[in-house]
Amino acid sequence: MLRLLVLILLVNSVACDELFAATAEYKIQLKGHLFYPSKIEIPAGQKVKLIIQNMDDTPEEFDSFSLNREKVLFPNKQSFIYIGPLKPGIYDFFGEYNPNSAQGKVIVVKQKQGEPNVN
Amino acid sequence: MKTVYHLATLLVLIYINMSVSWADGTPVDKVYHPYVLANERELEWRFTSRQNDDGNVLMQKFAYGHALSEYLTIEGYIVGERDEVGDFGLHGYEIEARWMLTDQGELWADWGTLLEIAKEQGSDNFELTTGVLFEKEFTRTSLTLNALLVYEWGKNIQDEFETEFRLKYRYRYTPAFQPAIEVYTGEDFVGIGPAFMGIQRYQGQKQLKWEMAFIAGLNGDAKDHTLRFALEYEF
Repeated sequence: MLRLLVLILLVNSVACDELFAATAEYKIQLKGHLFYPSKIEIPAGQKVKLIIQNMDDTPEEFDSFSLNREKVLFPNKQSFIYIGPLKPGIYDFFGEYNPNSAQGKVIVVKQKQGEPNVN
Repeated sequence: MKTVYHLATLLVLIYINMSVSWADGTPVDKVYHPYVLANERELEWRFTSRQNDDGNVLMQKFAYGHALSEYLTIEGYIVGERDEVGDFGLHGYEIEARWMLTDQGELWADWGTLLEIAKEQGSDNFELTTGVLFEKEFTRTSLTLNALLVYEWGKNIQDEFETEFRLKYRYRYTPAFQPAIEVYTGEDFVGIGPAFMGIQRYQGQKQLKWEMAFIAGLNGDAKDHTLRFALEYEF
């Protein structure tokens, strides 16, 4: 029981300092099985939050092997996905239900000094 | 500095579990990820074949799983076992719940928890397992840890607490081929070996996942090898 308590305390210690860190947010819409915008530019080395609003009446599933993310986007609802920190490069994503139309790219760029990082 | 602190915390977690591991049975099984995918249903077949100086023990599990929400999934198992004398039969039943505690990428690492209850066929022997599931991405690699606490009780066994520790370090090379290293500790057992996994996507949410690992026991001079294989059809 003592070991379990120690485990819980350690987990909390790791989680608490992350809760207060600011995360840049980027908004995407899914409409007619297309992502708008289909290309999102984000800074390298930073965690960001993608807020995805599914405007369609059908569910979609955000999928990306290179981003290592998979998430159901419920119809007429807003979902969010945390990605990064990433190295500069292009990371493809697609909708599993409509893979031919619902496609997008996350373009990770090295941030210039002094440039704001919030979209 | 923060990364050093987090890694130190992780090492303490590993040490706590590795230093007191004494779980019964076949310690080699699946290394659980902390993630749940909404709407997901799955059929699963797993087997472990453990070969040591006493013979071969084959364990097979057939399961059906269903995500109840974005964060919670349950899975029911029927377990079959062939023992050292070659008899294969129904061994028991299990029901398991996995709860995703943090969204993937939200914190420094991803956390989940597991609760599983198992009953042995034909006897009133039970096993309750709970613990922490952890995963951390390092660019194209992922470190997954399971720190589990087990309580066994029943008419024919001694009531006792046990611990198990499982580790997988995976390289996401391609969706179809992802090599890994796995480590397991249990009762008088420490094992390590190569693992391979992959995924084949079909239309919509349909996909087939496979995993295979060959774990060599590091328990001394005695032979102790386990081959594990899992096939999951998600739909």
